[in-house]
Amino acid sequence: MNVDVLFNPNSVAIIGASRDPGKIGHVLVRNSIEGGFRGRVYPINPKCSEILDLKCYPSVKDVEGEIDLAVIAIPAKFVPDALKECGEKGVKGAIVISGGFSEVGNVELENELREVCRKYDIACLGPNCMGVINPLTRVDSVFIPTYKMGRPKLGTVSFISQSGAIGGAVLDLMARQGFGMSKFVSYGNGAVLDETDMLRYVADDDKTRIIVLYIEGVRRGREFFETLKEVTKKKPVVVLKGGKTAGGAAATKSHTGSLAGNAAVYEAVFKQCNATEARNLDQIFDFSKLFESQPFCSGERVGIITNGGGLAVIATDSVEENGLKLAELSEESKRRISENVPAYVNIKNPLDLSGDAGADRFGVAVHSMLEDPDIDAILVGVLFQTENIDSRIVSILVEASNLKKKPILVVCPGGEYTEVHSRMLENCGVPTYTSSAHAINALRKLVDYSKFVNKR
Amino acid sequence: MRYQDAVALIKRYDINFVEGSVVRTVDEALKVAKYPVVLKIISDEILHKSDQGCVKLDVKDADSLRKAYSEIMSNAGNAKVDGVLVQSMAKPGLEMIVGGRRDEQFGPVILFGLGGIFVEVFKDFSLRVCPIDRDDALEMITEIKAYPLFKGVRGGKPADIEAIADVLQKVSKLLYENEQINEMDINPVIVYGKGYCAVDARVLP
Repeated sequence: MNVDVLFNPNSVAIIGASRDPGKIGHVLVRNSIEGGFRGRVYPINPKCSEILDLKCYPSVKDVEGEIDLAVIAIPAKFVPDALKECGEKGVKGAIVISGGFSEVGNVELENELREVCRKYDIACLGPNCMGVINPLTRVDSVFIPTYKMGRPKLGTVSFISQSGAIGGAVLDLMARQGFGMSKFVSYGNGAVLDETDMLRYVADDDKTRIIVLYIEGVRRGREFFETLKEVTKKKPVVVLKGGKTAGGAAATKSHTGSLAGNAAVYEAVFKQCNATEARNLDQIFDFSKLFESQPFCSGERVGIITNGGGLAVIATDSVEENGLKLAELSEESKRRISENVPAYVNIKNPLDLSGDAGADRFGVAVHSMLEDPDIDAILVGVLFQTENIDSRIVSILVEASNLKKKPILVVCPGGEYTEVHSRMLENCGVPTYTSSAHAINALRKLVDYSKFVNKR
Repeated sequence: MRYQDAVALIKRYDINFVEGSVVRTVDEALKVAKYPVVLKIISDEILHKSDQGCVKLDVKDADSLRKAYSEIMSNAGNAKVDGVLVQSMAKPGLEMIVGGRRDEQFGPVILFGLGGIFVEVFKDFSLRVCPIDRDDALEMITEIKAYPLFKGVRGGKPADIEAIADVLQKVSKLLYENEQINEMDINPVIVYGKGYCAVDARVLP
């Protein structure tokens, strides 16, 4: 099965294309035009002659050229026949957007769909899914208009989502937060291709560095387990399992049976496979932006720099709570910093540069800690509310982060002025957090994964 | 699965199990007992044997055995009884639970925790998908909150961690190779400064 064709097709047929702006079949055509899809687009609808200035065909069989991928958005009962026509035409991949299959108890129709795809060797996503986005080739089968849901810029994070709704929300947030994405895929019911297939694909995809996975369950547990175990040896996988509280209460007669419920087993699987488990949507972002932008780090000694004493105290608590260590400044660092800051700054870690610190003071401190052999990672707490902090600190931090020597995490709690700068930092590859608890928790995950990678 | 069959299965995997025989009469019990012994009812219908007074610990001689035997039989009430287990009294040590379950998606999983009531009350346990290797087993041991107890606290002797890791790997192998097992508890397994001893087990097909 040619899974790659789903992400890199030269031509796409949209079956169920429509002139009605309210229909999914219209949004799909519009998105492929507005998104700048690089290949040819063939709207398919026996009742129209053209849609958005593109020639419309009654069937895929009426298209003269080759079709690599079919995106299908027609009522469920017509889907198997449409797939049959695709098979006869030689279409290699299909994305079935339509719902109305096993998710509503219509198992037979889904089996029929699966058999057609097997017979014609069609790599099929769905049914009941949003399909794919590849920002590189501009393939986009997500049927949400761009004004409602932003599309992330090109990058290295690939996101596999069982759920379309979660997928859409995460994509929108990724776009908003300046995340760079390599591939997005929502596989819905997974009748033909499921989470394990997609995991294998992005693991082998050299444009993917970080994998984010949202699942509610898996279809082939054992294969998923073996695959995940192999994939994390190559790339970090951040995984969120939805629906962990339900289902664990099945009647059992043994202690083990009552303790080792569904949720506990998934946790064990993730741990055993060295995947990084996120407990909620926020953590998906907290973890993956750090993994994506900062170097691996198996050391546990954290240097803290702030312009607010309180922030330093809270950050120190977070470090200890997460089992990390507060670093000791080397003599060289102490000398270098003390030569460049006012005498009233207490030269120790956590380093409180004091409320009147500006970008220069932060620069000296960050670079000293980057050189310091006794420090493994740096947390920079910036209170943008203070008088001498302005946009200049952004370039200082971006420059330091770009050296990729040690992980740098920025904590900047605040309102609009802070948010503007936090977005600037994020867009330039510096991960920012609104609290040190979130930042240090993410660092803990980075350290754990780095240790695993190092051990191998 | 019958208690005797469960024990036989566990022993086939070279796991130390405390010596014992299942008897049907008090005379048989007197014949096999090497004091001190433990008497336990064998019945599928009694899930919590000690709660129901169907376990007698530290039975020291023939007279106490006769008394204990009749007591547990009467405490069993109307439950269907398959026999009485006469078991050597295991030396005290740190009690742990090693268990397993077949997950419908991931297959056999193995559980480790501090034995007795603690595993239930504190939900302090670790879990892995089988099969596991020595590293996995050691991780399972160090992962639980009660791990300091195994290292020895307040002058207590450290437990034989290697022996625990060994049992975990053997149970993992057992679970992996016996697809008919749905749930299983070996509880408690008593661990010492050197070695260990499994004391009770339940296997549900």
